[in-house]
Amino acid sequence: MIHFKNVSKLYPPDVIGLDHVNLRVEHGEFISIVGQSGTGKSTLAKLLFAEERPTHGVIEIGGWDITKISNRDVPLLRRQIGVVFQDFKLLPKKTVYENIAFALQVAGIPSARVREVVPRVLAIVGLEDKVQRFPHQLSGGEQQRVAIGRALVHQPKILVADEPTGNLDTLNSRDILELLKKINEFGTTVVLVTHDREIVNRLKRRVITLEGGKITSDVEEGRYKL
Amino acid sequence: MFTSIYRVIKFALQNFWRNIWLSVITISMLVLTLLTVNILLVLNRATDQVIAYVENRIEVNVYFNESADQTKVNEALTYLRTLPEVKDVQEISADNALVLFKEKHAQDPAVLSSVDEIGRNPFGPTLVVKARAAKDFDTIISALDNPRFRDEIRQKDFSDYQSIVGKIRQTTTQIRDGGIVLSIIFFIIALLIIFNTVRVAIYIHREEISIMRLVGASSRFIRAPFLVETILLSLFSVLIVMAIVYPTLALIEPKFSQYFGSGAGGLTSYFEQNGVLIFGAQFIALLFVTMVSTALALRKHLKV
Ligand SMILES: Nc1ncnc2c1ncn2[C@@H]1O[C@H](COP(=O)(O)OP(=O)(O)OP(=O)(O)O)[C@@H](O)[C@H]1O
Ligand SMILES: [Mg+2]
Repeated sequence: MIHFKNVSKLYPPDVIGLDHVNLRVEHGEFISIVGQSGTGKSTLAKLLFAEERPTHGVIEIGGWDITKISNRDVPLLRRQIGVVFQDFKLLPKKTVYENIAFALQVAGIPSARVREVVPRVLAIVGLEDKVQRFPHQLSGGEQQRVAIGRALVHQPKILVADEPTGNLDTLNSRDILELLKKINEFGTTVVLVTHDREIVNRLKRRVITLEGGKITSDVEEGRYKL
Repeated sequence: MFTSIYRVIKFALQNFWRNIWLSVITISMLVLTLLTVNILLVLNRATDQVIAYVENRIEVNVYFNESADQTKVNEALTYLRTLPEVKDVQEISADNALVLFKEKHAQDPAVLSSVDEIGRNPFGPTLVVKARAAKDFDTIISALDNPRFRDEIRQKDFSDYQSIVGKIRQTTTQIRDGGIVLSIIFFIIALLIIFNTVRVAIYIHREEISIMRLVGASSRFIRAPFLVETILLSLFSVLIVMAIVYPTLALIEPKFSQYFGSGAGGLTSYFEQNGVLIFGAQFIALLFVTMVSTALALRKHLKV
């Protein structure tokens, strides 16, 4: 599903984001990427959804070589990869429903289809009873659910979550983790970037550790160790 | 496809309303630009009318001697009528000239009594010659130097209409040149203002735009609302200018024709007959300028 071949990312002038990374993630996997601050976790995530282009190496996603993907094709890629961030990135003046519908609308999906998909997604993330609320009327965990719901509208093959629990307390973090696991069980490949020791230890899934832009450990059913 | 067009227009209208003051300022500037252009058009039209009015009144008064032979006068009259530069010739007989003179000076007993003192009609016949255009004037004067009746003519009297027309033209040309410079300046300002409006709109919507990009909106879909908003701004501006120009013309038209007549066709009717052309052309020109400006702003500030 995801294939990094000898990928390096240099930020000008000479900051190393990623350093000769080789990585293969199979369809349906749930991987966690851990590492200290500034070791290239977000860089790896950004390369996945083409927010950044690699300096060297080749990246393939579902057999599609996105190494030199054109700006024109980026939207197509983004409709196949859901993204979630620490700061939710919701539109404050739109309701829960509108925030999720927005992702479909801007992709030119007909209104009838939007009315069909949004409630389904709301059911998955468990927010059916809060559709008319605005983001500021929701808890952090609920806001992150909205963001995850939005990431799911195109039924993506991959979900990339960059520290989705970074702003949440333990209980909310657990909820979000359960939600990600549920999404993974539906067949979506999940790439989770995290700092959270407890989460990694609860997950008992594949863990990749980055240090200075290099993969220093890649363990099936890993535990958080730094 | 239709859904997308509908959504793009909806986003554009939202941009427009949410930054209503920005929209108001932008439209005001565009209106000012167009008004300058329209003032120039009206001025052009009015100048034509004033010149037509003046040329219509260009007269040469040819005064014959008291003792002039009526056959010579008739000869001169016929001759003048054959000239292509002459529009019309009228004869005022000696008796009539005296009556007119007395009417003119009815309030002035001193003048009247001095005429009476002479005891006879001191006036000769007069020919009033109307020229077709101010420039024909010299030809007519020199034509009257014809030896057949030159000696019968006491005086050729004329106002220097040509220099009046020349002055009108010169003044309006200066105003027009100034107006064109002003229009160009306003157009450049309009360009900068549109650029800034789009820049600010992009800044205000940066969050929305970055989210649109994240969830896979095509760059065309992200750009289109800004272009549509620019079309709306241009359209509103032209409509507002039309709403200003027509009533204003209707207001000044009666005063204007009171002085200068509506010989060259009224201002209002000119704008009514050519309205589609005049304002259509202005809309297209404005749209061109604003679209270029928007495209530049999007290119510089919207990296999608
Ligand atoms: N746009 C950029 N321009 C220049 N350098 C950058 C840029 N983005 C990241 N870097 C640098 O690249 C390195 C890796 O950054 P990255 O954001 O991937 O780290 P991270 O592992 O996500 O850190 P954190 O845990 O703090 O989020 C850092 O040294 C960072 O300063
Ligand atoms: Mg990071």
